[in-house]
Amino acid sequence: MKKWAFVLYLALLLFSCKEDDGDAIHILRIEGCMDLAALNYNPEANYNDGSCTYFNATPYIIEIPDGFPNMNIPSNNPMSVEGIALGEKLFKDPILSANNTQACIDCHRANSAFSDPNQFSTGIDNIQGTRNASALINIGWNNSFNWDGSAQTLEEQAFEPVVNPIEMHNSWINVETKLNADSNYVELFKQAFSIGYIDSTHVAMAIAQFERTLISTNSKFDRFLKGEEQLTSSELSGYAIFNSEKADCFHCHGSNMFMDNLFHNNGLDTEPFLDLGRGNITGDPNDNGKFRTPTLRNIEFSAPYMHDGRFSNLEEVVEHYNSGGNYSSTVDPLMKKLGIGLQLTNQEKQDLVSFLKTLSDDDFISK
Amino acid sequence: MNKYLSILTITILLFSCVKEKEDIIGCMDSSALNYNSEATINGNCNYAPTGNEPISNLNIHFTQTIFGNPLVVNMDYINGADTFNVQTVRYLISDITLNTDNGDNTILDEVHFVDISIDSTLTLNIPEINNSNYTSISFTMGLDPIKNVTDSFLNENFFPSFIWPESLGGGYHYMQLEGDLGIGLLGYATHTGATNGVDYSFTKNFPITTNLENDNTIVINMEIDNWYSNPHVIDLISHSNGIMDNANAQALLKDNGAADVFSINITQ
Repeated sequence: MKKWAFVLYLALLLFSCKEDDGDAIHILRIEGCMDLAALNYNPEANYNDGSCTYFNATPYIIEIPDGFPNMNIPSNNPMSVEGIALGEKLFKDPILSANNTQACIDCHRANSAFSDPNQFSTGIDNIQGTRNASALINIGWNNSFNWDGSAQTLEEQAFEPVVNPIEMHNSWINVETKLNADSNYVELFKQAFSIGYIDSTHVAMAIAQFERTLISTNSKFDRFLKGEEQLTSSELSGYAIFNSEKADCFHCHGSNMFMDNLFHNNGLDTEPFLDLGRGNITGDPNDNGKFRTPTLRNIEFSAPYMHDGRFSNLEEVVEHYNSGGNYSSTVDPLMKKLGIGLQLTNQEKQDLVSFLKTLSDDDFISK
Repeated sequence: MNKYLSILTITILLFSCVKEKEDIIGCMDSSALNYNSEATINGNCNYAPTGNEPISNLNIHFTQTIFGNPLVVNMDYINGADTFNVQTVRYLISDITLNTDNGDNTILDEVHFVDISIDSTLTLNIPEINNSNYTSISFTMGLDPIKNVTDSFLNENFFPSFIWPESLGGGYHYMQLEGDLGIGLLGYATHTGATNGVDYSFTKNFPITTNLENDNTIVINMEIDNWYSNPHVIDLISHSNGIMDNANAQALLKDNGAADVFSINITQ
């Protein structure tokens, strides 16, 4: 009672004696939910009004594999069993495309390590894109998305293909209308997010949750690291070449993630570039011709290779690096052995490819 | 009873606006410099200096110069017969420590990653530290063997780009200094680290001659060309790619680094 009176007293002071502030302290009561874990947490609230609402969904914990950092999961999209299942359903459902003919998985096929075996993907209007669909492997550890890093989060990324005119060519209003007319989806969104009306934000959140579970760490190489399986002499030799500065694969494809979360120009083309890549996003000419390093996990399954799918097999990829590539002003200093190349022997090239194939995870592509 | 009293107070307040009834926040300690005899709620008190006040807002700036001038990325420099530019400068500075004569030392940061392409890595802000009349600042270039352990920094911003493969000794790079040579057909990569497990980190200690104060900035500068000049003249071409497995090159670079690559300057 006393406390109440005090608060009221101060509130009244505020309105009655505004001109005489002096040293008086005025506490404004801001009602709201003060629980950080709630959906409607209000950081400015100083009075808990009992309005907190929570996900009813079952929390899902991602186990961090050996040699991986923690996964950055947005605090407003915690992983849940229901959210992941919903995301998987959406990922595989052509309902997201304008004419109900194309799902995410049609260009991110599981048996191609969630990439497109075609050089360029064809959208619902039979128009082809200009880049090879990215493989979705351990993508929860990426800190940017698409070959040029145009999206900062998986949630943001998921918005784009649905409305891209050469991909699913839909509108989000249309997607929302279709999903809300489907009582099954209405129920699944309610279970996953405690919402009554399905909106684009929660569609993207569900898909992002599913994508964060696309984790591959059960390759022959992983079993070798655990001492469960031996590598052949050719694979071991390839591993040594991979980690030597002679071939210098590891600076960009290092760690158990086999990628560096950075952008490089690996000497594919001379200038002027057909595709500016990262430079298109940053506007910095020093970024022209640079693209995100993809992981090498499951590289055997994710052909064709490079941002434009120009190489159809791993031998061609290794030969590109071995040749030294093409000159342009932004080629990475580590790639600058132009006209000299790596000078690998045929045996070394074969060994390197053998090693790369130890990164294949059969469990992953049967997801 | 209480309730009626409150209502009465409120009513009076509402209509009379009695100033004397307001709570006044102020220092209620009469020994303080800002003692306020009218205060009814105790606020912050300021006291006369005792000689050991904390230092607030100390900044460490990491700068890079080349031939005495601030580094310009992608600009051509000439060193003897070599033309080169600088594109990548990344390094680890560890155990940044303020020392006193009586051994009362303060570690400001265990490991700090500097990358000239990431502005936030160029400054380390220390909101508050004890003022213990520091007489020197020391730091280690790279990581000592206790820190330099594979997978010990998985969640730092230099992972994974700084990993040093197990087959070359494991742990992390100390430095990645890269750019183009000549007309740009070749690159160089001065990558230092614990080649084959041998420690090539080194510690620098610089005297602090004036007492540190609030808002001081300690500039730790790396003079890039000195990596290649003193006491050993190192040719960029012969010591470019491939020195991660080259113990001799690592030893020469350590000598040069410890000689005069780093300097400090304290500014207000």
